[in-house]
Amino acid sequence: MRVTPVRIMATSILLIGVLAVVCLASLTTGPAKLRPGAVLAELFGSPGALDAMERTILMRVRLPRVLLGALVGGTLAIGGVVFQALLRNPLAEPFVLGVMGGSAFGAILGILGGWAFFPGVTGVAFAGGILTIALVIGIAGGRTRIHTNTLLLAGVIVNAFFSAAIMFLLSVTRNQEIHNVLRWLMGDLSLATFRELVILAPLVLIGFTLIFASSRSLNLIVMGEETAMHLGVQVERVKKGLLVLVSLVVSAAVALSGIIGFVGLIIPHVLRILVGSDHRLLLPASLLFGAGFLVFCDTVARVATTQTELPVGVITALAGGPFFMYLLRRKQR
Amino acid sequence: MNFPRAAGTVLRTLCVALVAAVAMAGAVRAVALTDEAGREVRVPDRSQRIVSLAPSITEILFALGAGGRVVGVTQYSNYPAEAARLPKVGSYINLSLEKILALRPDLVIGIRDGNPKAIIDRLAELGVPCYIVDPQSLDGVVTTVRNIGRAVGREQAADQIAAQMASRIREVERRVAGLATPRVFYQIGVEPIVSAGQGTFPNILIETAGGKNIAADMAAYPQLNVEQVLVARPEIIIVTSMTREYDFERVRAFWGRWPGLPAVAAARIYVVDSDLMDRPSPRIVEGLETLARLIHPQRFK
Repeated sequence: MRVTPVRIMATSILLIGVLAVVCLASLTTGPAKLRPGAVLAELFGSPGALDAMERTILMRVRLPRVLLGALVGGTLAIGGVVFQALLRNPLAEPFVLGVMGGSAFGAILGILGGWAFFPGVTGVAFAGGILTIALVIGIAGGRTRIHTNTLLLAGVIVNAFFSAAIMFLLSVTRNQEIHNVLRWLMGDLSLATFRELVILAPLVLIGFTLIFASSRSLNLIVMGEETAMHLGVQVERVKKGLLVLVSLVVSAAVALSGIIGFVGLIIPHVLRILVGSDHRLLLPASLLFGAGFLVFCDTVARVATTQTELPVGVITALAGGPFFMYLLRRKQR
Repeated sequence: MNFPRAAGTVLRTLCVALVAAVAMAGAVRAVALTDEAGREVRVPDRSQRIVSLAPSITEILFALGAGGRVVGVTQYSNYPAEAARLPKVGSYINLSLEKILALRPDLVIGIRDGNPKAIIDRLAELGVPCYIVDPQSLDGVVTTVRNIGRAVGREQAADQIAAQMASRIREVERRVAGLATPRVFYQIGVEPIVSAGQGTFPNILIETAGGKNIAADMAAYPQLNVEQVLVARPEIIIVTSMTREYDFERVRAFWGRWPGLPAVAAARIYVVDSDLMDRPSPRIVEGLETLARLIHPQRFK
């Protein structure tokens, strides 16, 4: 089916509707039972149906958490789309170029140093991610032509190196903060606040606008860099620009949420199966679907057991894996 | 309108308002305490809804007679038995912010080693008073009991328990004073072999009970290979019940393969209840006495 502005709009509106429903459902779900009616009243106009503690839970715990989940989920999904296109590799995901190792290493230094989560740990995690990406792009020939395979290899090796460095730190430390490290490594949205959202939201919106503006170039690059060049795409400039842009937003998201796997890998594939591989449609659809998916998974993580909360990364893999296999199977038939 | 019913309604409303006013006055009154992490905490005069963030804190609260005011505990709070039935807010290292808030606590008591700082900071920011304890020694546990007693308005009970604990600790110290210190290997994990080293309560207990922990200079919970244990030639091996899913007899048989080990030759391999050894609660004194009896039986006849 042809991709027209009307179709992009229609799909986006549909997915925004789905996202809104998931977010509202998430806001009413949790250990504290908040009635959906009271939640809606509190959010849209007539507060008073909730008492002080319920309002605190809704407005200062759940709302920032849901919004952070949506932003992070959307960011990881578009990160996956762009990396899979640029590297022309279906296994690419937003962490593949070393963001994971770099920001995890930074975060762990911050946590073991006993710094506050925000801005301390977040700041070093972000710096770690960005520096690592810069290093990897540099290794792959940053100033001249970027070699896709070298880029991938460098990313994989840097991630492996940092994983080893993290294992080393965790084995020798006598610091009791070590438990918090594990929490971060498994991905955690439960401590989100508006302070963090104020930073991440504009970054994601500007980043997405710029990425969306390159969707035609991405379509051509996927067909082959030579072809794209002949059709007038400044391949190297677009590639470098997108790599830096995506790395920036993904590092920011990871710094705030920890490492949430699977979203960036499977959401792009799911959406390619559902809406096709034209990036003008694929990018907004992935952003919205990824956002909804992570909010859904985080909601499940919140209520799955009465004993504690599960790491959201466990749910993304458990829920995403079978769903993805089903879609793959259906596509083959 | 029916007059008596209207009067009843007015009366009832007044009563409710009165009760609410009294309750609010009680809640508003608070004392500023400095907790063991050096933080200023405004603790309500008489807290009614306490959430405990570690099994040891739960044990202290129940020992102080404040168990009835505890509304939430962590996953492994298994002592006393009624504590285990209370709502859970996660494990002490993996807490759920929302589960804590949903219990509407007027006081949260946490522990510095273990509870994520990020959660404590968020709770404090949301206006929930969090009193943090940080026991680092046996006398530190005694102090913690006193401090929690002050925080929940049970000073007298706390002083009594603290005095008993201190005198039992002094008694053990007196009995083992001047004795030779046999080498002790404290085994938490079976596969891999894990022990307890620097800064841990098992290490403190072994030393106070007149033993020498072979892992004393190692990391908090070091992983050892068999060779390290053999070289250290432990005279006593203590296996904790943390390994209960594993058969204690199999652990004994495992070490039995090295009859040259002094602990094997003397048949001094014992199993102890880990909850008595690594929880900074009043019961840790029982743990100390248990170890002292195993290490120096001749002094505890």
